[in-house]
Amino acid sequence: MTRRLVLLLGAALAAALAQPAGLIPLDEAGFRKLIASGKGRVLLVDFWATYCVPCRAEMPQLVALEGRYRSRGLKLIAISADEPEQEAGALEFLRKQRVPLPGYIKRPRDDDQFINAIDPKWSGQLPALFLYDRQGAKVKSFFGETDLAALEAALRKLL
Amino acid sequence: MGRWLLAACACTAVLWGQEFKLGSQVGDFGVQDLHGNAVQYSALKGNVTVVVFIATQCPVSNAYNERMKALYADYTPKGVKFVFLNANRTEPAADVARHAQEHGFPFPVYKDDANLVADRFGATATPESFVMDQTGAIRYHGSIDDSQQIQRVSSQRLRNALDAVLAGRPVEQPETKAFGCSIQKVGKAS
Repeated sequence: MTRRLVLLLGAALAAALAQPAGLIPLDEAGFRKLIASGKGRVLLVDFWATYCVPCRAEMPQLVALEGRYRSRGLKLIAISADEPEQEAGALEFLRKQRVPLPGYIKRPRDDDQFINAIDPKWSGQLPALFLYDRQGAKVKSFFGETDLAALEAALRKLL
Repeated sequence: MGRWLLAACACTAVLWGQEFKLGSQVGDFGVQDLHGNAVQYSALKGNVTVVVFIATQCPVSNAYNERMKALYADYTPKGVKFVFLNANRTEPAADVARHAQEHGFPFPVYKDDANLVADRFGATATPESFVMDQTGAIRYHGSIDDSQQIQRVSSQRLRNALDAVLAGRPVEQPETKAFGCSIQKVGKAS
């Protein structure tokens, strides 16, 4: 019994140590790699920020959605658009909300190019969600406060 | 019946879709002052006019409060007119007035109830700015500058556009991404 407990604690500690201490910075190339590495799963990419009230408000629902569909292949990726000064607060928020880690933070050399590379129709407004199919192709974008019913309907089609 | 439905759909698209595009002239539109009086854009505009969508609760918009005051102070003497607009359904006129007073705005702020003007401009974020030239054509659309942190600003986008329009030169970067908070529009989920 004690041995099992020690093993479980050890596994939990190893998992915690495997997570980076902060958010992982992403530029265009990093974003492309991230999407490519998720092939085989449906990806829900959430651009958010600590200062964005609707982003914070809808995060628990996105986490719940991820929990409901994880076994069918959904993965939630949270990418913060915060400034470096807010990075620690962003990570703390993700941990409190039990958002799957690692979390990411937008750090391109040119913000406009980065935004255009993801979706030319995206103004950079937050929140912004992007749904990628199992082949890594972007199939739908959601800008502003998310219509969660529409989001769920869209992702169910992909699962 | 089907034809009427198609006509109704087309009409709705014109009413609710983006109407004003970069390079094209903007038509007249109505806003409300903070006492609820209707004001027409034609009465507010000048030779060169800036429309900026702002918010009371958006930290990005608030990060620009002092920069907007400086813009107003620097360009009003050059004949530029500013129309600061709040289109958030979640920020009523009383809150907008209190916010303007607390931050010492030297300029009036107007309400765009039901975000009709934001929709006509295709504005989605705060802060988001548009520059109209002497003919009323949109010559710049986008952010005020390239960083909400003033110490990291490397491009004075709106100022550069204004300087170009005032000098009769082409705007080098006529469209940029207006990063910031989403305008909380009517008909969108809470």
